[in-house]
Amino acid sequence: MTQRPTNEPEPRREEAPRRSSGIHDTEPVVTVENLDMYYGSFKALQNVSMNIKRNRITALIGPSGCGKSTFIRSINRMHEIVPGARVEGKILLDGEDIYGDDVDPVRVRRKVGMVFQKPNPFPTMTIYDNVIAGIKLGRKRKKDELDGIVEKSLRQAALWDEVKNKLKDSGTSLSGGQQQRLCIARTLAIEPEVILMDEPASALDPISTQKIEDAMDELKELYTVVIVTHNMQQAARISDFTGFFYIENMGDPGRLWEFDETEKMFSNPDRSETEDYVTGRFG
Amino acid sequence: MPRESFQHELDELVSQVLSLGGEVENSLVNMVTAMEERDADAASRELGVDVRYKMRGAEIDEECMILQARQAPVARDLRLLYTVQAVTNHLVRSGTLCEHICHGIADTADHERDEDLEAALIEMARSARNLFHEGLDIFKDRDIDRARDLQAVDDKVDLLYSEALNLIANPSETGAGSPEWRMRAALMVHYLERIADHGVDIGGRTVFLVTGERIENAMQQYMKREQRPEEE
Repeated sequence: MTQRPTNEPEPRREEAPRRSSGIHDTEPVVTVENLDMYYGSFKALQNVSMNIKRNRITALIGPSGCGKSTFIRSINRMHEIVPGARVEGKILLDGEDIYGDDVDPVRVRRKVGMVFQKPNPFPTMTIYDNVIAGIKLGRKRKKDELDGIVEKSLRQAALWDEVKNKLKDSGTSLSGGQQQRLCIARTLAIEPEVILMDEPASALDPISTQKIEDAMDELKELYTVVIVTHNMQQAARISDFTGFFYIENMGDPGRLWEFDETEKMFSNPDRSETEDYVTGRFG
Repeated sequence: MPRESFQHELDELVSQVLSLGGEVENSLVNMVTAMEERDADAASRELGVDVRYKMRGAEIDEECMILQARQAPVARDLRLLYTVQAVTNHLVRSGTLCEHICHGIADTADHERDEDLEAALIEMARSARNLFHEGLDIFKDRDIDRARDLQAVDDKVDLLYSEALNLIANPSETGAGSPEWRMRAALMVHYLERIADHGVDIGGRTVFLVTGERIENAMQQYMKREQRPEEE
């Protein structure tokens, strides 16, 4: 299912028959069609098309500055907080264009949550309040209901056992890895369909990283995850699909150079630039 | 280029494989000469190579494992390490078979023999040696176009194999050779057929190394190509 911009050259090798992994057995939840992205007059991304499959983990890799983070921010309209940022093309979420005239970006962000590189719990809030911070912005809920949401979200983020006896402690009292899982729990509490993660483990030690990865593996039963990572082995370990973003010449916009099953991308990618990147021969 | 030392280690590993391959090939050359000339001494000089090749193979295997653990190879690097291990296995096994054959030659040098069967055996030994050389050369040059033709060459070896088995099963009334020699000849043709297969497989592994295409798929395509006229 290799996807590439229509103006890109054909792959250099014939497609070999694939063994059936079952990872294609879900429909796309997000469909990106010919997306161009600009910051003012600077074109940051060009002609990105991608299907993001439901209940699968999609990893985005590529050198710094090639537009990966820019791209995932466009999936929940987070880029709009940067003045002058705009997109051309379409992003369909469950078939609905998220850039449609009558679409409220806040509603998009409730369906597409985001976890950032640096854990960012609200410093003045307790662990409990951090989890329900997003929910409190919506309709009023009973305490029992909130308790249930907090426990469920923290369990899904694989943090419950570590914090269940100190829910009234400050979120910042936790370790870096725990804080990041708290942020994941906060994202899960609003029950998004898609969770975007921008290098969620890059500031964490290996054990915390493993816990995040284990949590992600369980999360994909219920959610669709898109993760930007510079850790190639992490992409290979956890994702079902991988997209490689690349800039051919300095100053050019970033492009989705190759997109395929992770298994293929890390064993026998179609394009030489992808192979150079994943084998560390890039640069 | 980044990962220069890793690349250096990979290059070094490949030269170790080629060096082992060269030695095994040399043993095969000596085996064929010993067979042609009924030279027990030449055959005896190859006795003991098996242990040496196995040790060399184990060293290469270990190096592959260390590189996998330390370097977390993916894509072409991973395919190379996988191929190096597989090719090494083919080399070591060919060396073992070569020693078995040399044992047979040395032990039966002065035995009476069936000349037709001996001629078939020698022709098969030359073909197996050539196939092994070709497979190794393809690996050295990564010349996969030649690899795709190896199966056709192997068909000739298979034909000689059937011919030799037929001669073994149907000895002539005169000049059938000594029973021990016939028994050894039966084993030798089997070993030679295996050596030829190892040569084909080394070429096949190279196809995987270069393209990522599983050799099984390449072989299936070849088999389909062969079956098509019959189907029609």
